[in-house]
Amino acid sequence: MRIIRDRAIVEDDFVRVPDGAEPPAGAKPIVRLADFIVAREELLARHAAVGVQVSPDKLPADIPDLQRLALIAIEFPRFTDGRGYSVARMLRQRHAYRGELRAVGWVLHDQLQYLERCGFNAFELQPGKPLDSALGAFGELSVTYQAAVDDPRPLYRRR
Amino acid sequence: MTASSTHWIVTGNFTEDGAVAWRRPDGTWSRRIADAGLVVDEETAKALSTTARATEQREICEPYGIEVQVDGDTIDPLTARQRIRANGPTIQLRRPD
Amino acid sequence: MYQYDDHDRRIITDRAHQFRGQVSRRLSGEITEEEFKPLRLQNGLYMQLHAYMLRVAIPYGLLGSAQVRKLAHIARTYDRGYGHLTTRQNLQYNWPKLTDVPAILDELASVEMHAVQTSGSCIRNITADHFAGIARDELEDPRPYCEILRQWSTFHPEFAHLPRKFKIAVTGAPGTDRAAVRFHDIGLRIVENAAGERGFEVIVGGGLGRTPMIGEVIREFLPKRHLLSFIESILRVYNLHGRRDNKYKARIKILVSALGIDEFRRRVEEDWEASRTPELELADEEVARVSAFFAPPPYETLPANDRVDGLVLGRDRELGNWVRNNVVAHKVPGYSAVVISVKKPGIPPGDVSDTQLDAIADVSDRYSFGHVVVTHTQNLVLPDVKTSELPRLHAELRALDLGEANANKLTDVITCPGLDYCDLANARSIPLSLEIAQRFDRIDYLNDVGDVSIKISGCINACGHHHVGNIGILGIDKRGEEFYQLMLGGSPGNDASIGKILGRALAQDEIVDAVEKVLGRYLEARESPDERFLETVRRVGFDPFKEAVYGTTDSLEAAGDSP
Repeated sequence: MRIIRDRAIVEDDFVRVPDGAEPPAGAKPIVRLADFIVAREELLARHAAVGVQVSPDKLPADIPDLQRLALIAIEFPRFTDGRGYSVARMLRQRHAYRGELRAVGWVLHDQLQYLERCGFNAFELQPGKPLDSALGAFGELSVTYQAAVDDPRPLYRRR
Repeated sequence: MTASSTHWIVTGNFTEDGAVAWRRPDGTWSRRIADAGLVVDEETAKALSTTARATEQREICEPYGIEVQVDGDTIDPLTARQRIRANGPTIQLRRPD
Repeated sequence: MYQYDDHDRRIITDRAHQFRGQVSRRLSGEITEEEFKPLRLQNGLYMQLHAYMLRVAIPYGLLGSAQVRKLAHIARTYDRGYGHLTTRQNLQYNWPKLTDVPAILDELASVEMHAVQTSGSCIRNITADHFAGIARDELEDPRPYCEILRQWSTFHPEFAHLPRKFKIAVTGAPGTDRAAVRFHDIGLRIVENAAGERGFEVIVGGGLGRTPMIGEVIREFLPKRHLLSFIESILRVYNLHGRRDNKYKARIKILVSALGIDEFRRRVEEDWEASRTPELELADEEVARVSAFFAPPPYETLPANDRVDGLVLGRDRELGNWVRNNVVAHKVPGYSAVVISVKKPGIPPGDVSDTQLDAIADVSDRYSFGHVVVTHTQNLVLPDVKTSELPRLHAELRALDLGEANANKLTDVITCPGLDYCDLANARSIPLSLEIAQRFDRIDYLNDVGDVSIKISGCINACGHHHVGNIGILGIDKRGEEFYQLMLGGSPGNDASIGKILGRALAQDEIVDAVEKVLGRYLEARESPDERFLETVRRVGFDPFKEAVYGTTDSLEAAGDSP
């Protein structure tokens, strides 16, 4: 499956694992939070890179061992559900999370720049939506007023 | 009101300019309620709306069915909201200068 | 007023360009209406009953004459020759075509205007006292902070998809709140602490709509430099914990009420401690930079002009009434603020034609340093008029049908567009306001009744602010017919109160009679002509008015009248 990561279209090297299933050996699994909580030591021992997918009602405090995760995926069940933007920003700024932060679910082309400014660096678009034109979304607003993850300085400190 | 005097029609707004749209029997869209194609029940209106929603996004926004009363050639919606959509605002629009 | 620099201009032109792309993807079918809707809403473009509606942002209501001329031009070229002033100091057009909206946004951008975030579940227009900068009772001009908040909120990436819309208001006159800060999601009052420092009292969780609530104080004194970081924490707690399951329970007031102000405050303070950074502090240089744009205009040094009393009592009765009702004292000697009432009987309240807008631009250039302010009572203010020029100005305004001497009087009705335009409405509101204006259009009666606000909403969303009208009217749908709930005693200011329903809902042909009976009872019951309507209601209670309208003081069945 192709995704956008760091403003490029790449083949996804992570594998999404169904609930309760055993991830394939040598894979980079993405498991849901509940499974990770139950089996995290094992997962972290067996796989070089582990990813966890969370629903938007989860806060950083709900994710154990988050600094050991290679990837955190935050769900957007509806594109109007804006909780993930705050969770991402908290992960990057309050918790200094350095791994891949991926937006999944109902993610629109027109939200990519805001998502990136909140700290997401990877995106799964919905099936059928063109990725190439989506890359153009990143530069659409060339000047930003407020501090965010991309630059913690408000415009008045950059003017 | 007997069953034969009420019908359903399909309405929406034109994508291009937002004007009120009424679905003709042949599936094209008119700006006049008098041109609306009558269908016998809500299910049929719903089905036509669903199809239009899926295939005619370029022309029409959010089509849906409404119930109307028919008296000869006149199609009259049952609610104030739809009557106002059919006939325009009930107040004088342009300020007299 | 604030002047854009290259950054500000770039932000707006980029946005207009982005929206142009979104519109063409909508017109080509690449994106559906469902996907387009939140995008167009974030650009202030609604779909109403008959047409799209475009809501232009007028930050804290302030306009320059070039902007007013552009608004006239847009009304003439792309719409049907008029615009509508709203209760949040914006202006909306009722008939734009989607295919024209990109061009309209380009035109707006050319005069430093836009329609950003005037709709949708995001941070909306920052509103303020319409006498900001000139009022005698003002502690400090709130407008620089409104501008700073406007910039901070524009395209804020974290808060573009809140549970619901978010409205912020600022007042700089702690004694008289003309911005209704206690009825906003966040209200800010500039205050001074015991040490003589200026800061903000932060109020949270006020609002109207289905569950009207008066806001509560979350911070009694917030130093100015923490303004943005603290507000961000409030927004973050709301974004994370506000309800998203029920659109009628999704405003921040519901969250504050559910948690209680103490728990809500605890969560905000916790987030603030963990998130605030030195960079997020509001720099003194930035406050100074923005404040410089609101420096006083080149006022002449004039003697304090007591001509006002002379004009009020003079032989020209029309001028006298207008000065008495529409002219407001200014902090600079020899100057006055003037309320231009657009509420002429026969005209939907808040509507202004393109020719009137062009004329207002000219008038503002000649009388008021080229500035005009939109009030949240759907009128306009010329903030800086020389008192000596009042007679000449009045004559000009009268010739433009803008000289009604009814500011804050009975026929200065505030109303939403209602079912004639709005997809959300249950009943029509404009015809009611026209009937009221027509029936009571006698200046002696208006003056006798004195200050009273009638506010009409066509549905529970309360865009007409009916909860805070001295007389509030709410249109409801009862068995398919338009009915009206009548309430009394609302007030949006420091003495905040929510109106109380008087009795059962009234039919269209009963409601204006009921208003007349209410006024009649007030005139009988007041202690003196100086006792205003609201004061009488608070003093004598609701029973005398109930009895006047319904003939009984029994608790009347309003249960079947749910909006």
